[in-house]
Amino acid sequence: MNDMQFLTWVRGTGLDIALSIFVLGVLWRLFEIYSLGRKPDLTAPRHAAGASGLHTIFRRTLPAEGMLKRAPVSIIGGTAFHIGLAIVVFLFAPHILLIKNLTGLSWPGLPSQFIDLVAVVTMAAMVVVLVDRINKPVKRYLSTFGDWFAWTLTFLPVLTGWMAVQHLLLPYTTMLAIHILTVELLLVFLPFTKLFHAFTAFGSRWYIGKINGHKGVAV
Amino acid sequence: MHGPLIDTLARQGVTRRTFMKYCATLASMMALPPAAGRAMAEAMASAPAATRRPSVIWLPFQECTGCTESITRSHSPTLEGLIFDAISLDYQETLMAAAGHQAEEALHAAMKANEGKYLLIVDGSIPLGLDGAYSCIAGKSNLDTLKEVAKGAAAIVAMGSCAAYGGIPKANPNPTGAVSVSDIIKDKPIINIPGCPPIPVVMTGVLAHFLTFGSLPEMDSKGRPKAFYGETIHDRCYRRPFYDQGKFAKTFDDEGARNGWCLFELGCKGPVTYNACATVKWNGGTSWPVESGHGCLGCSEPDFWDAGGFYKALSMPADPLKMASTAAIAGAAAGVAISFANRGKKSAAKSAHETTTLADLEK
Amino acid sequence: MSIEAIPVVVINSSENLVAADSGLSGNAPVLLREIAELAHRLLDSGEASAIDLRALPLTPADLEWLRETLGQGQVVATLEAEGESMLSETVCPGVWWVTHHNENGAVASEFIEVTFVPELLKAHPEDVKIGLEHLELLISDLS
Repeated sequence: MNDMQFLTWVRGTGLDIALSIFVLGVLWRLFEIYSLGRKPDLTAPRHAAGASGLHTIFRRTLPAEGMLKRAPVSIIGGTAFHIGLAIVVFLFAPHILLIKNLTGLSWPGLPSQFIDLVAVVTMAAMVVVLVDRINKPVKRYLSTFGDWFAWTLTFLPVLTGWMAVQHLLLPYTTMLAIHILTVELLLVFLPFTKLFHAFTAFGSRWYIGKINGHKGVAV
Repeated sequence: MHGPLIDTLARQGVTRRTFMKYCATLASMMALPPAAGRAMAEAMASAPAATRRPSVIWLPFQECTGCTESITRSHSPTLEGLIFDAISLDYQETLMAAAGHQAEEALHAAMKANEGKYLLIVDGSIPLGLDGAYSCIAGKSNLDTLKEVAKGAAAIVAMGSCAAYGGIPKANPNPTGAVSVSDIIKDKPIINIPGCPPIPVVMTGVLAHFLTFGSLPEMDSKGRPKAFYGETIHDRCYRRPFYDQGKFAKTFDDEGARNGWCLFELGCKGPVTYNACATVKWNGGTSWPVESGHGCLGCSEPDFWDAGGFYKALSMPADPLKMASTAAIAGAAAGVAISFANRGKKSAAKSAHETTTLADLEK
Repeated sequence: MSIEAIPVVVINSSENLVAADSGLSGNAPVLLREIAELAHRLLDSGEASAIDLRALPLTPADLEWLRETLGQGQVVATLEAEGESMLSETVCPGVWWVTHHNENGAVASEFIEVTFVPELLKAHPEDVKIGLEHLELLISDLS
């Protein structure tokens, strides 16, 4: 298999397989999680200002009081790489084109030099977060294989995409194919790892907020 | 700077300055630094005069003669033609006066007289299906002819994408079982000059290199001369700034297309195509595909015909997604099935639940 | 036929006067610094050098901007060799704009040369010898 065949495979069959597993996994897990349900809470609801599912979704996007001082690396690094990922994934013109082709939705992109800069910042933030996880004994103790795996799955597409654009290490064609392959790996594993928080984070925040809101507690 | 070549040129009315200008331009075309133009002029000018012109044999296999058309229509006839004056083209079916048995005799005479020294140029792919019966010349299959002629060759030039990589005949489903020269010949230096057709000056550049230095120029991992195939169309494209700014033509006749914006979204394969069109251009530097408003097809890359369609952007799926909708249904079904199983478990637990009374706790 | 003859390029070009839409890529101004660097080298070591304009991602508008910015100096030389070549000194002495055309008039290659005199303009001793022979022939015809 030469590099062009490799690229065509990842753009064709590979993408088909990866997207299929992704869609299958996402729907499966969403159906499973949201059909679990809860016993109805028969107590009389207590009302308190700012206590609701919606409030919690927004409140938990910002660091809790005092947390910024206690865990600056996690919060700043984490926020930086999440925003960076969103910009790189959703505002790079070739990516928008793929999304348009798959869903019909499209929006304007950003200049590639800017995307390039954001990719570097994103990778730096991810490396900082990883080093922090390794250096802090508690974090290291709490980390499982799933955590290291999820970090790698997320980091590789950014790294390979940036290397492809910068023409580093391998010819562009090969690097582009590897980039797409790493994205496909991410798609395949996303529904079955903690990366699934991309779909459940806001749902579970709303859920926690609603339960506590019923009790009159603003969390 | 003087030598036999300069003298030959002078006899043909080509001055030293003209030659220097040609070399400067050739260096620019070969994507070499400006200083290399002068170095090349020195090297070519001081190369010893060949006592006999080197023999070149050109074999056509499964091809469309587009490559020959491309070369014979190369511009700057005096200077680039000089390359052909400097060689003895002993067999070229399209150009030679002889035909039939005479042509075959010429081939065998040239092979015998220049054993181990001649340069073999091949255009077209070689069919292996039906024992090679898909393409025969003088009652011999292309496979047999290639093996026979390659044996005594000093080096082989695979001209065009068909000879280099199989090209269009090899396109899926490859009815004739077409393969490239390098799939068959393993023991000779082979240089690929892919393109459909290749750029004429690449051909003359490689020949000039062979004549000047007696060897093939430096090649990349796909056997192509690095000088011409060292960078992608995209990296050398004059529309590249628009790609970086995110300005794309969305159709072939919209505002973006009229403004000359990037053709990436219209399926341009420039980013993954290594060739010199963007710098050398075509038809004597008149224009080239992207300049005329059409994206690059990627014709100098292996299997360009099967790379997912000419009008699909590189970041789009190469094939329509076949399994995704089935997978969506399967995923939803699995989710529903599991949720039913979970509910069953829940109600089973509920019905198995025994109420604990105060009496139970006091036991 | 010149590139300008292809209508695709020229439509709308005069309508957009905003810098971003004028076709300038922003790559040209950087070149001025490189030329200055090469001029320093010429003064310090006498080493001549050249920039291949075709090897850089410059739009036609970039080239025009560069040509206008560097301006036209006192010397213009034309060379007739398989098409016309123009060697013209810019406003900055020692910086030459060299354009080689092919027989069809299309630009075959384009350089900025930083040198006291472009190599192409100097007569080669071998050619001078040939010229001398010719001169001697002319002189012998006089007597």
